Amino acid sequence: MFTPAPLLALSSSTIGVSISLGLVGLGMVWMLIRSLRARDVDRRIVFLFIFISVSAPILFPITFSETPTPVVKKLFDKVESLPADSKVLISFDFDPAMAPEVQPMADAFTRHCMAKNHKVIFMSLWATGQSLLNQTMRAVLVTEFPEKRDGIDYVELGYKAGNEGVLNVIVSNFRKMFPTDVNSIPLDSIEIFDKIKSCRDLDLIISIGGGKPGIKEWVLFVGDPTKTPIGAGVAAVVAPQLYPYYPKQLLGLLGGVKGAAEYESELVRHYPQFEEVDKPGLRMMGPQTFAHVVILAFIVLGNISFFVSRRRASR
Amino acid sequence: MKLTFLIACCVLFLGFPVAGFAQDTPEEAQPADSITTPIPAPPGNVTAWDTENDHGHSVSLSWEPSPDDGTGLGNVIGYIVFRSDSPDGPFVDRGVQPAGASGHTDVGSKEEASQDYMADYVDYYYKVRAITADSLVFAESVMVGPVQSYGQWFNTGRIPVLVFVLCFMAITIFFIQKAKSGANLFVRRLAGIEAVDEAIGRATEMGKPILYVLGLGTAADIATIASYTILGRVAKKIAEYQTGLIVPCYDPITMTVAQETVKTAYMDAGRPDAYNEDMVYFVTQSQFAYVAAVNGTMLRERPATNIYMGKFYAESLILAETGALAGSIQIAGTDEIAQIPFFVVACDYTLIGEELYAASAYLGREPLLLGSLKAQDYAKAAVIILAILGVIAMNVGLDGFKDLFYISN
Amino acid sequence: MKRSSIIIMLVVLAMFVISWLAKASSMAGVEDHNIWHGFLITFSAFLTLAILSFLYKDNPFYKFAEHLFVGVSAAYWMSMGFWTTIVGNLIPRISNSLSAFFEVPPIADEWALLLLPDSVTFFIPVILGIMLLLRLSRNMGWISAWPLAFIVGSTAGFNLVRYLRSDFIEQVSSTFVPLLVDWQGTGHFFSHLNLNASGQFVTMAGNWVIFLGVMCGLIYFFFSKEHKGIFGFGSRVGIWILMVTFGASFGYTVMGRISLLVGRLTFLFGDWLGLIS
Repeated sequence: MFTPAPLLALSSSTIGVSISLGLVGLGMVWMLIRSLRARDVDRRIVFLFIFISVSAPILFPITFSETPTPVVKKLFDKVESLPADSKVLISFDFDPAMAPEVQPMADAFTRHCMAKNHKVIFMSLWATGQSLLNQTMRAVLVTEFPEKRDGIDYVELGYKAGNEGVLNVIVSNFRKMFPTDVNSIPLDSIEIFDKIKSCRDLDLIISIGGGKPGIKEWVLFVGDPTKTPIGAGVAAVVAPQLYPYYPKQLLGLLGGVKGAAEYESELVRHYPQFEEVDKPGLRMMGPQTFAHVVILAFIVLGNISFFVSRRRASR
Repeated sequence: MKLTFLIACCVLFLGFPVAGFAQDTPEEAQPADSITTPIPAPPGNVTAWDTENDHGHSVSLSWEPSPDDGTGLGNVIGYIVFRSDSPDGPFVDRGVQPAGASGHTDVGSKEEASQDYMADYVDYYYKVRAITADSLVFAESVMVGPVQSYGQWFNTGRIPVLVFVLCFMAITIFFIQKAKSGANLFVRRLAGIEAVDEAIGRATEMGKPILYVLGLGTAADIATIASYTILGRVAKKIAEYQTGLIVPCYDPITMTVAQETVKTAYMDAGRPDAYNEDMVYFVTQSQFAYVAAVNGTMLRERPATNIYMGKFYAESLILAETGALAGSIQIAGTDEIAQIPFFVVACDYTLIGEELYAASAYLGREPLLLGSLKAQDYAKAAVIILAILGVIAMNVGLDGFKDLFYISN
Repeated sequence: MKRSSIIIMLVVLAMFVISWLAKASSMAGVEDHNIWHGFLITFSAFLTLAILSFLYKDNPFYKFAEHLFVGVSAAYWMSMGFWTTIVGNLIPRISNSLSAFFEVPPIADEWALLLLPDSVTFFIPVILGIMLLLRLSRNMGWISAWPLAFIVGSTAGFNLVRYLRSDFIEQVSSTFVPLLVDWQGTGHFFSHLNLNASGQFVTMAGNWVIFLGVMCGLIYFFFSKEHKGIFGFGSRVGIWILMVTFGASFGYTVMGRISLLVGRLTFLFGDWLGLIS
């Protein structure tokens, strides 16, 4: 991390954020003056402001505390309240384009389930989800929970082509769609699957993604017919479309980086041992917040410019 | 002699019970801690029946929890369900339920080769055992049976779905027939469609062409099908006013249908000579490459009006922004909820979701489209009425009304 | 080609090489194949910057990156489609010798249609797939309408019950919310005045919003009656509710796009330039 010369007894993040705030603030004043004169602002100036407001908090990290909203808390409480050895399925239904938003959620869910000693089944309905699943397993399972054993504490089923056709089968029979796990071990030989025949035997299903097939398909094909609790972690673009399913058909919903940050902060609150692990959701909320403030300022300035120019035109 | 006999008798009398203690086998003797574990009362009133609304191979059970579950002795920690296909046994473990449970579903496999195979139309007998912390101390219920499992042809848990499907089908068929018989079915005006005529007029005055984008859907998508109807109407007006038309296409099949639509429109307007096949052309099936090409067309040709009707994804804002930059009037319509906000912000008129389908019915006046639209309207009216009734029922405590909509599986 | 364009390309090439060498040397001793990894990271950064350069104006670097992305993604999905669907699902069911050739285990008969084994049944989708590909032919393209009709019809039937259940009936019954509460005093009514809490006032207000929002939204999309009078008023409330929803959706989308930008900049500053840990 970049460290400034020790001239000032301030942290680098404070100095960095102050400088960028100053730059952006001056720029906003300049834009306000132009708006009041009903002058146009080149869109590339706007892009530059966004770049500064996002880059500065990345280079000089600043994090904010997060309080989970009810829609996130419900899902957290469900995972927390399940007894040890509960069967949880986590489906990685996303591609690298969505990964910056939803991978932090996947890591947080995995970490939470492992801390609670749940038996986790990993799978994916997207071809690209397989490698991202492995990324989470390497980053969380292997690194933080080396004592967990494949086949006993978790199992990786991998990717299966067929979209909602896969769900249509596993809702009544897992082995028909997944005769073996990703290491070609028959499901009948895997301890976790001793008492699991279908999705009805699961205690919780968490789908992470934002496209098709995704959470909607899990709710339609598995959640509603079997009444198995379903939780979701989705990209921000898709979140508004899933709110109608909450809370009756969807137990809880993490929307975008904000949802990931809320879950991570709640996890640390309950499990202080995770204080030192990397929390990308919380880390990204710093630049996210600054960018949003700048965008809000642009909206206000844009409206000022609009009304001023309209009044001038009417004169 | 007498003393010896007396001593021998004493030894015998004292030794015998000691020997008796020593000879107690471990299997018969209860472990030291179970001596203090009393035997609980068994679960009562066990009933077993074929699981309803399934494909068979499943039996459901219910029982009254043991009086010593949570109360009384309080030593019951759970229940084990046993099954046999003969009243004399052997009984096998078919599942465990925690304390407090009063039911269980024994689900077997339908695959004959499976170890868990549970045949249909075979007599099964069940017992429920209340267990304690000591595995040797338990109480079994009376045996129930015989009970057989079998599949049902009709899932009564989905009756609400059947009722809705039948009602909706009936309304749809009724209105389609009504439309076919020539009845004038009213559809209200849509601002976006009214603006199309204005926009075509403006383009004619300015001597600039009209750009029509069918979106990224395939020919099978409903939004694209609705867009064809609107394109036909637009093309007919354009043919009458002798304005230019540009239709860049994303999908080859869509392009084929669009070409036919425009050609037919020109013929209907009495201007077949004015039709040029190059008006409707294929660009590429790559999303952002298509957008780049259309943006280039907008900036070069400077159309007076841009019409976006169909299925759009992440490229919607790029299209609409560039069109706004070029100074065109923009009219959009899509059923992609995620893209509607972008069109609303960047376009002059937007047809939101179902308005796109209504627009095609409004313009085309085809009986199939009109009839479907009216049926949907009546379905919406039914939903409004049901919602009002439901809210009233919730507030006066009539929970049974909500149960009418419950779908079990 | 213009002289300035050549100079720009040479400068970019020089910066690419310098970055590659610097990255490779910084990874030396820490990773195996540091030269290859250094090239990959530098190339990723180059492609990211090339796409972002479109914000300034369209240019050959952007065009190159876009075409590369389109080509690679098309090839990737085609390859994935072949290996997961054809080799993963079809070949193990229809031919043991082909299964051995592709080194995949044969799948036992599971979908046998009446008396037909899988190896016969699964030729039906193969034939339908070939018919679908015939759309590329000018003369025989009409044949593709049949499998297309099968796909559209079977998908509609397959999904009808599910969508009706989850997206219609469940949503309708979710609208049955209590609009009035049991009055337990003003203090209790106005307690927990917090959007996250479940105080009586907040719950009741939320229920009224849900009920009125659904009603007015449905009225807006009612096409059989002119929107006048009280109906028109309901329609206007409906469109306001819709616009609030679209605004929230827009805001969420902006958040999503900023998150992706943060992710990319984290890669550039961290993995490429090493400015952050």
